[in-house]
Amino acid sequence: MDEERTGAGQNGAARTEVSVGLGTAEILRAGEGPPLLFLHAAGAGGMWSPCHAKLAERFDVVAPSHPGFGGSPLIDGVDDVEDLVYHYLELLDLLGLERVTIVGESFGGWIAAELAAHSPHRVEKLVLMGAPGLRIPGETPFDVFLATPEQLVGHLFHDLSIPARIFPSEPGIEEIVAAYTEQSAFARYAFTPFLNDPKLERRLSRIKSPSLVIWAEHDKLIPRAHGERYAERIPGAELQIVADSGHALTAEQPEATAAAILDFAAAA
Amino acid sequence: MKFNLFHLMPYPYLPEEYDDFPVSALIWPNKHFDPKLGHELYHRYLDELELGDQLGFDGIAVNEHHQTLYGLMPSPNLMVAALARRTTQAKIMVLGNQIALRKYPIRIAEEIAMLDHLTDGRLVSGFVRGIGWEYFNQNISPSQSRARFNEAHDLIIKAWTSEEVFEWVSEHFEFRYVNIWPRPLQEPHPQVYVPGTGSKETMAFCARHRYPYSAVFAPTKAVKRWFDTYREACEEEGYKADPESIGFTVPIYVADTDAEAHEKAKAHVEWLFHKGLKLEMPSILNPPGYVSPASLEGLLRAGVKAFQEVSYEELVDLGYVLVGSPETLVDKIEDLRGEMGFGSLSALMSIGDMSHEETVRSMRLFAEQVMPKFREPAAVSGGVAG
Repeated sequence: MDEERTGAGQNGAARTEVSVGLGTAEILRAGEGPPLLFLHAAGAGGMWSPCHAKLAERFDVVAPSHPGFGGSPLIDGVDDVEDLVYHYLELLDLLGLERVTIVGESFGGWIAAELAAHSPHRVEKLVLMGAPGLRIPGETPFDVFLATPEQLVGHLFHDLSIPARIFPSEPGIEEIVAAYTEQSAFARYAFTPFLNDPKLERRLSRIKSPSLVIWAEHDKLIPRAHGERYAERIPGAELQIVADSGHALTAEQPEATAAAILDFAAAA
Repeated sequence: MKFNLFHLMPYPYLPEEYDDFPVSALIWPNKHFDPKLGHELYHRYLDELELGDQLGFDGIAVNEHHQTLYGLMPSPNLMVAALARRTTQAKIMVLGNQIALRKYPIRIAEEIAMLDHLTDGRLVSGFVRGIGWEYFNQNISPSQSRARFNEAHDLIIKAWTSEEVFEWVSEHFEFRYVNIWPRPLQEPHPQVYVPGTGSKETMAFCARHRYPYSAVFAPTKAVKRWFDTYREACEEEGYKADPESIGFTVPIYVADTDAEAHEKAKAHVEWLFHKGLKLEMPSILNPPGYVSPASLEGLLRAGVKAFQEVSYEELVDLGYVLVGSPETLVDKIEDLRGEMGFGSLSALMSIGDMSHEETVRSMRLFAEQVMPKFREPAAVSGGVAG
């Protein structure tokens, strides 16, 4: 087992690899309580953030990396978001998790919404954060595939001093290639149709679980209309805004985001 | 040696605000295209290609690009149709059609077959993947590029050569009845040509199918390495590459003296590389999935500079362009041929914002005083050595 990843900082999430379908998946896991599946944003594979740690105080947090992200290699035949839904259903079966709370951030939120619409009986509670996935003409997300790295960072954060601290100012070749590898996986799933599944919106009415939609106050990547539409179409869902944050909620406002998730997900 | 006249058909009229714009493609607004000026350009450029036929170039070449000011040919096949019955000798080369980007590749098989008849069998059919940004404007995932290219290629070849109705099923294409009318004139089909930019996958593909390989603008050192790799790939397939199947593509400007040539060429060469080919967003060239992470790493480690960062003097020294008097050009081409082993040279002679008169003058000097030196190999090696 990879020592660096096993430690995953002071938060102590365990890293395992499981065989799933035709490939393998990396899973970070920590905490005790009811199971919570955390589906990460593009670019956040293999990361255990302070938000994850906070959730692990109340939940058994299971955080797999999507194929092609973090420590999970691409898997033949897993080419689009529908394939990812089947991938995660299989993973839940393998882990013996019949029913889970799902928290999905950004791209992971899209997968979460698709999974909940596909198999509503597997979902205890659903939290979508800054999720693309809907096709709303005139409200198209920022083009994350065309953008330069500088433009992308400018659209991910509200407080630009944060990325200045997190990212190296002059990335080396290894960092550029690593970022390109994950962007390539993301493009494989979401280049066309661009960050949407035209069938998703009318399937959202199938979702049975209590659902919360969280949006950043200053999301420059996915227009808030997407959050409003999710909240409108998922039965009983509510939209909650996290103040002073850009799209990258768990990186920019980890405490406030974790509190919003826990207030909803840990409530009786 | 074979000489081809290659045209990009650039749109050279740029306002000052273009200097602050990062790219010449995809998103430079088409309000900057003046239809009156554009209309004149098409006729001027077609005149130049027709003149190439009259001056004895072995081939005249066009290509496909979308949404860019450096090339006004979203449909190269239309240009071939316009040239077909107004030229008589030269091969007409499409370098090439972007077959990976077509949702219905059979249309390419059909059009090329028609054009083969219109050109009396003078057609050369190039296939390309398309450049990064073209995956944005045609909304095809760049990660499917290589697979779509290979499948479309196999489908088109089968459509040209099959004499029976057939069904086609591959990962990205499904057609239940393929049966093109007309079939091409040339047997079994027009020569296929694949221009490349150093990717090993493309070289192996060309070697496997015994197709010529031609390189686009790059330093001669890099191009030599590509040609060596192509030759090795051919040997791995069990044959020796014919020099004529190795094509060097380069902008060329000729004037009476070296001094005059450099004085006149400089601004136009700078326009081409610094303005026309201004592509200062990484995703415009290599969108996610377009190249493998290993290939991207190779590109980054090779440290190839962006065109904008290469000065005129470096462009000349590194062999991105050939500029000089006819005598100098003969020497340069002879040297490069010896070093790189190409037997086919595609000259871009309407460089950037060059006027028609300058282009024609340079073309004539090249056709009359440079090309003939390479027509009889024995005479040339004697002449150059002495």
